[in-house]
Amino acid sequence: MRRTSAYFISLLFILISNLEQVHAQDTILIPLKIKLGLEVSGPAIYFSEKNILNAEGYISVDINEKVSAVLAAGYLNYKYSQYNYEYFNKGMFVRTGADFNLLKPEKSLGKYWAGVGLRYGLSIFNSEVPSFQQENYWGTASSSIAQKTNWGHFVEVSPGVRVEVLKNFSIGWTISLRRLLYTGTGKDLRPIYFPGFGNGGKNFSTGLNYFIVWNIPYKKINVIIKKEVPEETEDTGATGNRQ
Amino acid sequence: MRKLIPANLLIISSGLILFLFSCTPESCFEETESYLKATLYKNGTGRLLSPDSLTVYGISMDSIIYNKAKNVQIALLPLNASTDSCIYIIRINGITDTLKLSYSSYPHLISKECGYTFYHNLDSLTYTTNAIDSIDIRKNTITTINEENIRIFY
Repeated sequence: MRRTSAYFISLLFILISNLEQVHAQDTILIPLKIKLGLEVSGPAIYFSEKNILNAEGYISVDINEKVSAVLAAGYLNYKYSQYNYEYFNKGMFVRTGADFNLLKPEKSLGKYWAGVGLRYGLSIFNSEVPSFQQENYWGTASSSIAQKTNWGHFVEVSPGVRVEVLKNFSIGWTISLRRLLYTGTGKDLRPIYFPGFGNGGKNFSTGLNYFIVWNIPYKKINVIIKKEVPEETEDTGATGNRQ
Repeated sequence: MRKLIPANLLIISSGLILFLFSCTPESCFEETESYLKATLYKNGTGRLLSPDSLTVYGISMDSIIYNKAKNVQIALLPLNASTDSCIYIIRINGITDTLKLSYSSYPHLISKECGYTFYHNLDSLTYTTNAIDSIDIRKNTITTINEENIRIFY
């Protein structure tokens, strides 16, 4: 009987000490935010290069301290000409996906973001080649391609960083790595440049976006911080030798 | 928090540097002209063999594509995209033939840097048989890709 009660008492001590450990874990209060972002490099480029107007913005909602759901939309008006052709493309796009913050909560504090975004993009656009020329042995042949509406879609991986520089205002940039899935233009008349994707003549495109973001906190959550367990130093035979 | 201020600057400046690098213009390095690729075979041997002399020019054209050329195993013949047929004069070892090619043309984007070219679908061909014995069509689509389109047996 004594043995049994001693066993139960020791078990109770173990349980209590474990419970105390759980309560002793550190937590941190992280604000979850709705973010409204505006891409600023597109309008900046437009001031120097009137042939490309790319306007883009996004809304994202923090699901937890690591993941945000994102919806982006934009507009492109693109004109390009060189010695042998002219090309126009005008249209809109949407991108949807998620952002993953790779910083630990105690580092990010809801203010710093360094991570990666995954997106699916869909674009609708009107493209036209008003004229193009080709010279060869027989002389110069000229032609044009009439305006046509097409769809294109793609996937995107976008690593980047964002920093809160003023209260509830962040700035940051992302590198966009895009893989074209489909354009309705066929393999011969792929779009030279189309909204949301960029250079449609290739299967991969890259881009760099600068964002100004307005953060609207809507909720605070407690996030448990994992304590870094100090490495235990193993006793070596040297201690024994001293005795 | 103080430690993070230089990090902010680092993040912003690194983005600016990336932005500058992203604006580098590119040039056109691809093949921009589509040729009908005609290989020359010695009749009866089944072997690819360049004639001792090859002259090729378009009818009513002043310039000559091949002028008594030697060591030509693959002749590259550009087509006239403004019309749906063209005629070549082909002189093999001093003996003259005519080759009429009928085709349709359609635009093809090479790249943003190079622009558009014309691809062609070879519909039919007719020829005289002075030096030429026969011609086989191997591939109807005439593009910038290095693919054999016709095989001339002489």
